Amino acid sequence: MKKIPRTGVIREYDMHSPSVRIGYGFLIFLCCLMVLVAVFPLVWVALAGFKELEEFNNSSSILPSTFSMKAYTTTWSQVGIAKNYLNSLISVSGSVICAILFNGMVGYGLGILKPKGHKVVKRLVMLSLLIPSTISIVPLFVNITKLFPGPTFVPLWLSFGANAMYIILFAQFFESLPKSIIEASRIDGCSPLQTFFRIVLPLSKPICVVVAIFALNAAWSDFLLPYLLLRGTDLQTVMVRLFDFSTQQTINEDDMMRSVVFAMIPPIILFFIFQKQLTENAVSVGIKG
Amino acid sequence: MTVRAKRRPRAKVKANVQAWLIMLPGLILMAFFVWEPLFESVRMSLYKTKNIALLEWNNFDNFTKVVGRDEFRQALGNTFAYTLWSLAIGFFLPIILALLIGETRRSKGIFRTAVYLPNMLPGLAVVILWSAFFSAEKYGVLNILFRNFGLTDPDNPIRFLENEHLVIPIIIAVATWKGAGATALIYMAGLSGISAELYEAAAIDGATVRQRIFHITLPAIRKLMGTLLILQIISVFQIMYEPMVLTKGGPDGASLSLMQLMWQYAFGGGSMQFGRASAVAVILTGILLVMTIVYSIVNRRESDWD
Repeated sequence: MKKIPRTGVIREYDMHSPSVRIGYGFLIFLCCLMVLVAVFPLVWVALAGFKELEEFNNSSSILPSTFSMKAYTTTWSQVGIAKNYLNSLISVSGSVICAILFNGMVGYGLGILKPKGHKVVKRLVMLSLLIPSTISIVPLFVNITKLFPGPTFVPLWLSFGANAMYIILFAQFFESLPKSIIEASRIDGCSPLQTFFRIVLPLSKPICVVVAIFALNAAWSDFLLPYLLLRGTDLQTVMVRLFDFSTQQTINEDDMMRSVVFAMIPPIILFFIFQKQLTENAVSVGIKG
Repeated sequence: MTVRAKRRPRAKVKANVQAWLIMLPGLILMAFFVWEPLFESVRMSLYKTKNIALLEWNNFDNFTKVVGRDEFRQALGNTFAYTLWSLAIGFFLPIILALLIGETRRSKGIFRTAVYLPNMLPGLAVVILWSAFFSAEKYGVLNILFRNFGLTDPDNPIRFLENEHLVIPIIIAVATWKGAGATALIYMAGLSGISAELYEAAAIDGATVRQRIFHITLPAIRKLMGTLLILQIISVFQIMYEPMVLTKGGPDGASLSLMQLMWQYAFGGGSMQFGRASAVAVILTGILLVMTIVYSIVNRRESDWD
């Protein structure tokens, strides 16, 4: 096997000492334990989902007695979650488009165009990073209900167009683009907006993908504002239903656990497709968000 | 730059106007969703409200009414308790995880992926999932485990979520399960900046593994630790849906947080006391603002963007 060099505190030479070797073995054991702790709850809930109510309430075994999908399919149709999935899909798609378009355009202004006075906006955006979004949910809810009296996805979509973190990610990326290309496009007679859509965005696919994944996941998981705006209407998303279940106690515990599984499947799929982008960008997103 | 400087002033004005027009839609959204609601909170907190209407200016009536209630004092105390517990449980764990994963050679990617996975899951689903773990019903996973080890009596399960001393640490543990991996990745990025030669040199000079950790590794990430500490405090201060779903703030308000109190005034049980809810929000914003100022002072010497 190829030898991978050690990059950490423990050096190859330390491994001659028996105590370090035991310590290293313990370290690997701890790492495996960590994986177990991270994954076990997910395995448990997926397995528990196979149990019907009677078995769910009384069996103390982790493995279900049968692996038939009946319990899952029954809950799926009884709760009517297909409709909620469709709603979530519409809500998420609009949110991703808004996240890229509006934040991208502000990022373009801050990172490339830099008009007179853009530093004020930059300051404001930086400050907004630290303002939690839920803290002013009451006035926001009032403003939205005044502007959009009926249930609609529009305010939820637009809310993703106002994200300080995405603006900064875009602005930083745009700033790193070669200036000569943008200047060339200007000399060729492109307006700034044309330059944005024809030159800047196509060159910025990596950052667009990152923002799209994070916005997709955030929009899927979002439930406070959607709950206030969509609860009880035809437009309820998966999370709105789940929040309703958990606070109103309207369904049995086993159905609730299956709904949890339904709510987790899309993010897990997303996670396994975009693992690399996610773990690599978690750093910049985590620090700023 | 030289090209720009030579352009005529009128062209320059035009370019500025165009740039502002491009930013305008996004800025309007920022104003509508982020900036204006903050000011509106302050305004709303000073008015008597009925449903969504502001009736009349009532000075600081909302504040005095809110602060005078026992539930406010309880929520404020709980919020500080959440913060302390989160420092005890959630601050060092990501550092330890990052150190452990950093030492592994093979399968580093698997460990990294596994610890980050919970962070991607919807927070609401995570909390509901954990409520089944801590449940005192027969399906309560922790009680099953305890029973199998003979620690508890089957007829007398531990009522984790009804114990006023346990609820806050439990809620923090759940939040840590979800968030620790993401923070660990940030630390890992910080750790990867330390040159292996430094460790090599220290090893040759006879420094033990422990000495290397305390004299090389930890000093190198000290600044990052400071930043993440403040970010963690700011985020725990806003804890809301975790207690809402796990304990409903109970038992007897033992896990009620300030944000949750705000939500209850505004949307709980059809009460719609928006004035009072805003008063709580303004107090909370004030506390967070102080922390934010501390944060920006700490971070001042960082680069232009960070």
